[in-house]
Amino acid sequence: MNSASTYLDHFFFLALPYVAFFTFFFVTIERYRNRKFTYSSLSSQFLENQQHFWGLVPFHYGILVVITGHIVAFLVPREVLWWNSKPLRLYILESTALVFAILAAVGLVAAMIRRVSVSKLRRVTSPVDWLLFALLLLQILLGIEVSIRYPWGSSWFATSLTPYLWSVAWLSPDLSYVSPLPWHVKFHIINAYLLILLFPFTRLVHILVIPNPYLWRKPQVVRWYRPPMGA
Amino acid sequence: MRCTWQLRRWPAAAVQGLCLLASAPALFGQEAADFFRQNCISCHTIGGGRLTGPDLKGVSQRAERDWLVRFLVNPQAMIDRGDAYSQKLLQESRGVVMPQISGMNPARAEALVDLIDAESKLEKSQFIGVQITDRPFTAAEVETGRQIFRGERSLKNNGPACLSCHTARNLGGLSGGQLGPDLTRAFERMESRKTLAAWLGAPATPTMAPVFKKHPIDSEEILPIIAFLENQAADGGEDLSAGKLTFLLVGLGGAGLMLVVFDLAWRSRFRSVRKQLVLSSTGRGEE
Repeated sequence: MNSASTYLDHFFFLALPYVAFFTFFFVTIERYRNRKFTYSSLSSQFLENQQHFWGLVPFHYGILVVITGHIVAFLVPREVLWWNSKPLRLYILESTALVFAILAAVGLVAAMIRRVSVSKLRRVTSPVDWLLFALLLLQILLGIEVSIRYPWGSSWFATSLTPYLWSVAWLSPDLSYVSPLPWHVKFHIINAYLLILLFPFTRLVHILVIPNPYLWRKPQVVRWYRPPMGA
Repeated sequence: MRCTWQLRRWPAAAVQGLCLLASAPALFGQEAADFFRQNCISCHTIGGGRLTGPDLKGVSQRAERDWLVRFLVNPQAMIDRGDAYSQKLLQESRGVVMPQISGMNPARAEALVDLIDAESKLEKSQFIGVQITDRPFTAAEVETGRQIFRGERSLKNNGPACLSCHTARNLGGLSGGQLGPDLTRAFERMESRKTLAAWLGAPATPTMAPVFKKHPIDSEEILPIIAFLENQAADGGEDLSAGKLTFLLVGLGGAGLMLVVFDLAWRSRFRSVRKQLVLSSTGRGEE
């Protein structure tokens, strides 16, 4: 391993996670204490309701299933490996994850097309929103690419990435697990840290607003009321 | 770092030397032996004959100590520099470059040379290598190896199944993983049961080493895995199954199906904003 790649590994997998998590916690709390009414995804359903469904539903169900899978592999790696010990179960798990990752990608692309094609939505979409769209799309496409190019991720995540992530959590990062991984995988991890870093500056904060009944409530039209001028 | 305080008082080189001297004694004995076991035995024996790399018995008589330390710290740099003995070793190992070992430094290299010297003097070193049968494998052993490879038979020390990262011919289903190489011809590449057994005893690639350091493959499991890989190599070829394409098509098909499900589940959803409501709320429509 040459010194340049060692340096980059230290920067991205040793320093960046702590910068990302510190920023995440510090700014998230600061924003909630001082600007709590900005904790919203700023619904645009009222401005356009035809294409909205094809962005909202596939993206959210897709991304929630995929993120849950990552969290489960982080928390209970031995159980994931046990599940994968039967090849058929492994194939079912991986195929399900791929289906929902593709749904997340389809939903995100639909949401981006909607934001570009409807002039009212372009006006309410900030540069930070576009940055978030770009990073999320990159992250999902990289994840899909990794899952197809380097199967079977649910197993090698549990054996190689989970120990690295726990070593970061216990404040003694062990880069030996992550350093030899292909750059596609490393890029996916780095981009995840960037998303965590940017989380409190974006509309992603809506994830933290509790109670969060978006998953089971009936669709509802969000409308606003503005008193007539001079009233 | 223990010696950081000295940086204020001494030139950096002197401090580094002191630190190495201070840490070297801890590397003798058991620690050096553990390091050798975890990082070296997949390619070397001491008195057990050549594997991928040379037998290290009496290596200090074949090369200067200083050369050995420099080579251990960075083999690739020695080869790149055109060092004649490094080139000879490279040729003897059929172009396989000794990897730079994680955690290797001059103090550790010194300790390893001392360990090799001490083990070389013994009639039978603890690193003589795996002694493995040369009788033909039975069908049952091949099948057991196949089950271990696919994960159906768990490894005793909780290591991950080979299928997680490797594929081989005729595994069935969506085939094996591809983070690591196709192992159909692994036996052919390793050339002998002994070399493969040594490798499986302490897998040395940067990806496998940290994983199997904590979950080593049990010696009883090594034999059936070799049986399976030898059987795979006997027929040659590689994994040509369309596992990846099938996987992608399953993903696309499943996603398409889910979109239909979503559309049906929310078939009574609002399909447009109620324009009249908008107009009346902005004062531009009829009351």
